[in-house]
Amino acid sequence: MSIELQQEIKIDESFYKVKEIRQLTDETFSLRLPKSRFNYRAGQHISLGIRGDYQSREYSIYSGENDDHLEVLVKEVKKGYFTPKLSKLKPGDLVEVSGPFGKFRIDEKKIADHKFVFIASGTGIAPFRSMVRTYPQLDYQLIHGVRYGNEAYDRHEYEQERHILCTSGDKTGKVHGRLTTYLKKASFDNNTQFYLCGNSNMIFDALEILKDKGFERDQIHCEVYF
Amino acid sequence: MNSTKKRIAFKTLGCRLNQYETDALVSDFDKGGYEIVDFKEQADVVVVNTCTVTNQSDQKSRNMISQAARNNQGSVVVVTGCMANNYKETLEGENKITYVVENNRKGSILNLVDAHFGGELLHPEKLEADVFQFNTVDKSLHTRSAIKIQDGCDNFCTFCIIPTVRGRAVSRPLPQIIENVEDTLANGFKELVITGVNIGRYEWEDKRFEDVLEAILNVPGDFRVRISSLEPDGFGNRLVDLFDHPKLTPHLHLCLQSGSDKVLLRMRRMYDYNRFKNLVERFRDKYTEFNFTTDLIVGFPDESEEDFQESLNAVSTFGFGHVHTFKYSVRKGTRAERMENHLPEKIKNARSARIRQASEENRSRYLSSFIGKEQTVLIETIDARGYATGYGEHYVPVRFKGKGLQKNTFQIVRITRIEGKGEQMRLVGEL
Ligand SMILES: Cc1cc2nc3c(=O)[nH]c(=O)nc-3n(C[C@H](O)[C@H](O)[C@H](O)COP(=O)(O)OP(=O)(O)OC[C@H]3O[C@@H](n4cnc5c(N)ncnc54)[C@H](O)[C@@H]3O)c2cc1C
Ligand code: SF4
Repeated sequence: MSIELQQEIKIDESFYKVKEIRQLTDETFSLRLPKSRFNYRAGQHISLGIRGDYQSREYSIYSGENDDHLEVLVKEVKKGYFTPKLSKLKPGDLVEVSGPFGKFRIDEKKIADHKFVFIASGTGIAPFRSMVRTYPQLDYQLIHGVRYGNEAYDRHEYEQERHILCTSGDKTGKVHGRLTTYLKKASFDNNTQFYLCGNSNMIFDALEILKDKGFERDQIHCEVYF
Repeated sequence: MNSTKKRIAFKTLGCRLNQYETDALVSDFDKGGYEIVDFKEQADVVVVNTCTVTNQSDQKSRNMISQAARNNQGSVVVVTGCMANNYKETLEGENKITYVVENNRKGSILNLVDAHFGGELLHPEKLEADVFQFNTVDKSLHTRSAIKIQDGCDNFCTFCIIPTVRGRAVSRPLPQIIENVEDTLANGFKELVITGVNIGRYEWEDKRFEDVLEAILNVPGDFRVRISSLEPDGFGNRLVDLFDHPKLTPHLHLCLQSGSDKVLLRMRRMYDYNRFKNLVERFRDKYTEFNFTTDLIVGFPDESEEDFQESLNAVSTFGFGHVHTFKYSVRKGTRAERMENHLPEKIKNARSARIRQASEENRSRYLSSFIGKEQTVLIETIDARGYATGYGEHYVPVRFKGKGLQKNTFQIVRITRIEGKGEQMRLVGEL
């Protein structure tokens, strides 16, 4: 086996052509890549690079395990380094994918007799869309905290009664205010598995609230973005 | 190759995994007909096994490379280890370095050097890439040998460069591990240290870390087993119960990193303070003298005085036998590099000094608790005056005197006092 051949295979495996870009708000978009041989579990993330740039960033996988593309949801951070570059990508451009990584996953054995509560801020909703699309039988509730109602990305995909949108900047959500305000008042069954994803401040506050309600740390799973 | 033996020297920086890998290389070269010499001596080949975990380790690695090249003009200088991965291009551009070999090809350095002296200039990338390629160590400077069960990590803690330089988590198949254990024991080692980058994440077929541990403990022979360093997530009572086994030493290096839940979240650690506490308590309920040692990072971006105080309190609450204190330093390409509110050196220094002091007080308290008790010491060195030193089962350093003592044997020692200060503090005992 020659070394040249090995390298060729490697490049083929890790570089993907952008298939489609869905602009969801002014700042947020999704990148669709061909899934080809890439296997992942709902909730995992990938590391994404742009050809010719030495930096990379992690993104939760937004698509379900059985979808025919690999999709990520990205919010452009105006002062950020990477996302302004990502936002300039066009279909046909090459991105580098490595992964999948992470243990932020559903324990399939628990699906039959547990409830699942997903708590997300902003683009932290990404792994939950993947989970909901992958496990149609999941008994879940999705609590999504955003500033404005238009950030409820792909909201029509969730059953209305399972989707609790908390908007802190306008009154379009089911709940007006932060998701933590909602959490404090809400009650959950004992057999609930909690999944928290997004920024660390939200996760810290939500964890405290859940622990105060008597839930064990073992039933709370966290994915911290920043 | 010439009829006279080529001389080779090694220098290792950083973690136990690196040490293990150097030991395996030493064995390889010994078997391959090379003469192993001290790093200070003149050699035909010098291998520097580098570390890049902190800025200080980068600096130390650089110094060692320069020293190796300076002392051995015209010799072959091979640079490997994590720095070789992290700064490959820069290092390859340096004239004083002959070869830069990445971690996954480290096991093939003998082939590279043999080829070099045979007149064939191989590019290191042509070497076989396999992180478990190392042969069993049979000639080493130690009485303890590491058993590598795993490599890589994909936890991506926000301060850590290791996932980038060591790559994805891979586990060595259990049958290979057992074979390696049997060979190592056959070579006379009395203490095995289970090693890897994140060994708690071992996953091969349906086998997990506890299964590997149990299988190693069940290998027949007169030896003991130590666990090198463990991330405190995901362990149940099975791990606690395994310590009932007489071959497993009552010591764990359990990395806490911070006592503040806020900081732990921003570090992307997978546990919180209470989980850590719960694990420690489960052990101490069963084994009161169990030795916990740990790593703490001080001065992580945005660490408040309150957060720091929680780390400081943790030192005494958990009564760590030793705390490895790291002053936070930026590693390029990590998530923490991009965080806001990096703290000034002055604050980091002051906090680090406070942790050190607390840690020393603890250590003295912990070591004193052994006075009047017994430790089974594996002798590592014996000096000219007949004083032997080694570690007791609790991973406490012990010095004692005796007649006809032999290296690499177990001795039961009654502890009489402690001596020394700070890191040098140790137990003194008698037979
Ligand atoms: C496991 C994991 C999964 C992630 N998944 C996603 C994902 O699905 N979608 C996504 O958009 N990001 C995700 N992120 C964050 C992502 O990796 C980048 O940090 C983010 O895209 C910003 O990169 P940047 O270079 O533009 O900004 P940087 O220059 O790296 O950072 C600038 C600042 O922007 C802020 N910031 C970072 N991420 C966000 C965000 N998502 N929304 C608002 N502010 C932010 C932080 O305060 C940060 O300090 C994930 C992070 C991790 C660790
Ligand atoms: S667990 Fe965290 S600190 Fe340890 S090697 Fe993996 S990323 Fe680094």
